[in-house]
Amino acid sequence: MSDAPQKQDVLVQMQVDLKRALEKPKDQRRWVMVLDLRKCVGCHACTISCVAENKLPPGVVYRPVLEEEIGTYPNVTQRFMPRPCMQCDNPPCTPVCPVNATYKNDDGVVVVDYDQCIGCRYCITACPYGARTFDFGATYTRGTPEVAGLIVGQQTADDYERAPSYEYGAEHARTGDEESPIGNVRKCHFCLHRLDVGMLPACTTTCIGRATLFGDANDPDSVVAGLIASPNVMRLKEDLGTEPRVYYLV
Amino acid sequence: MTLKRVLYVLCILALLFGAWGVFDRLTTGHENAAYGSYVVWGLWVAMYLFFAGVAAGCFMFATLDLLFDLKLFKGTGKAALWTGLVSLAAALLSIWLDLGHMERIWKVYLQPNLGSVMAQMVWGYTLFGLLLLVSLFLAIRKPTSKILKVLMIVGVPLSLFVSGAVGALLGVNAGRLFWHVGLLPVQFPIFSLASGFAAMLVVIGWFGAKDDARRPQQLWVIALVTIGLQVAKLYFLWADFSQSVYGNVPHNVEAVNQVLYGPYWWAFWIVQIFLGSIIPIVVLSRRKWAENPKIASAIGVLVLIGFVVARANIVFPALTVPELDALTTAFSGPHLSFDYFPSLMEWAVTIGIVGLAVLAFMIGTDRLKLTRAEVA
Repeated sequence: MSDAPQKQDVLVQMQVDLKRALEKPKDQRRWVMVLDLRKCVGCHACTISCVAENKLPPGVVYRPVLEEEIGTYPNVTQRFMPRPCMQCDNPPCTPVCPVNATYKNDDGVVVVDYDQCIGCRYCITACPYGARTFDFGATYTRGTPEVAGLIVGQQTADDYERAPSYEYGAEHARTGDEESPIGNVRKCHFCLHRLDVGMLPACTTTCIGRATLFGDANDPDSVVAGLIASPNVMRLKEDLGTEPRVYYLV
Repeated sequence: MTLKRVLYVLCILALLFGAWGVFDRLTTGHENAAYGSYVVWGLWVAMYLFFAGVAAGCFMFATLDLLFDLKLFKGTGKAALWTGLVSLAAALLSIWLDLGHMERIWKVYLQPNLGSVMAQMVWGYTLFGLLLLVSLFLAIRKPTSKILKVLMIVGVPLSLFVSGAVGALLGVNAGRLFWHVGLLPVQFPIFSLASGFAAMLVVIGWFGAKDDARRPQQLWVIALVTIGLQVAKLYFLWADFSQSVYGNVPHNVEAVNQVLYGPYWWAFWIVQIFLGSIIPIVVLSRRKWAENPKIASAIGVLVLIGFVVARANIVFPALTVPELDALTTAFSGPHLSFDYFPSLMEWAVTIGIVGLAVLAFMIGTDRLKLTRAEVA
């Protein structure tokens, strides 16, 4: 990050960084996410925006916020730790897939090919961060009244259930049949479909405390490149050698 | 009513229950399953490990007759191969129903990632199934064929590979310390051998030729091997658990504690250890009891049930410990739980598959006359 005094909201700076990164060939970018735990207030806006952005059904979550109480009374505090996919440089989840349905793409993001995944869930067992969930085909409106009454009924709410998601730049309709991504493993993909059109990931945009930061670590002038060189940076379970691309500032 | 008739009735009831389970599975997908995104593998995976182990073990048993020509076991090879084949079919059916997209199974054959242990295992079990089928055909039609001997020779390392691969499938997960044990792929072939021998106690005890004078001696030898393998199994268990607890790595200790003192402690202590190991060791060590076909076969069933629980106790505990402690409360929703007990639909499918396997076994042994006495 430049030493020049900050004159813009960090979101705007990251947007500029993103534009610069997108001009480079894919294999020269290194997308990383930095989560500043000192700024996270545990509002869960990132979790909700992710659910909305990717039309996630019940039971599928890409980015929960882990809450931990630390200390004993009277010295008590609470820590909030968002946990997206770590997009490991040495991911344990990809080599175990029996059909190459999950792999690192040219950007270095670990992706899932919904049309290739057989739903064996081996990758879920391999992920040491619990970052993958299985789409069981659940719906929010099951068991609710069919016709709208005083509250929104199933027929109205159903529009949301059936709204297609555009993950990986493709339309994934939820028709009610057992079609993908139902029966697939799903995970955070740094909102690749947004990045491709020059937008930051949904969680980054919606973070009220600017605790979620995103960008190209290969760009020395980017916000994230400066932050991950800080002495107070850490990554989860580094001892496993997974080389996560998600950094925490503590 | 003879035992066979009782079994036929039970199998048909099991099939009816299973048909409901399979219907539910096929019409509602995995929604009514109790496994989820945290405990991702449930009863069907445990049953897959169990049936696949029995299949490999039965093949190993068949080599006593069809490869090593042991006079005592002459004529038992066909029944052992048939038991293995039926068990393998049950294993594959169990794991097939567990897939999110059953219709894409062909991808493992035509678009495999051969670096994946799972892909290697699927290929291995497919070859193993074909080998069992051809071996059985030759053992029935051309028992003196040299090809049969070759197949049996090839089958020994293949059966070791497929049973070991199951251990490797779990063991390669470095993030799950409970599974990440170097000896797991070594232990699994021994577990397979033990479950195969236990299955043959049942086959020879209940379905063996009554006029075969060698039967008591056969049962006694199988009983002795079973005792040895049970002791080996208990030793492995002790070695794994004691090292884990002594090593005191929190997630590993938690997994071991789940088995020993968790909500399903009774499954470990009562079913797996007491009924599945201690009672069989005590009973089978008395020659008089071991040579009694009814007692020996009943003990064989106990050992097999113990192995089902043992397989479950390998699969589930590693998954019921959160990868990150706060995950348990981070997000709620269906199928986001670290507790697991199979749902009714899962039980129905499993009971149906067991019924189908036993029925196929009985019809096969009757029609193909696989358990007739043969003079050595």
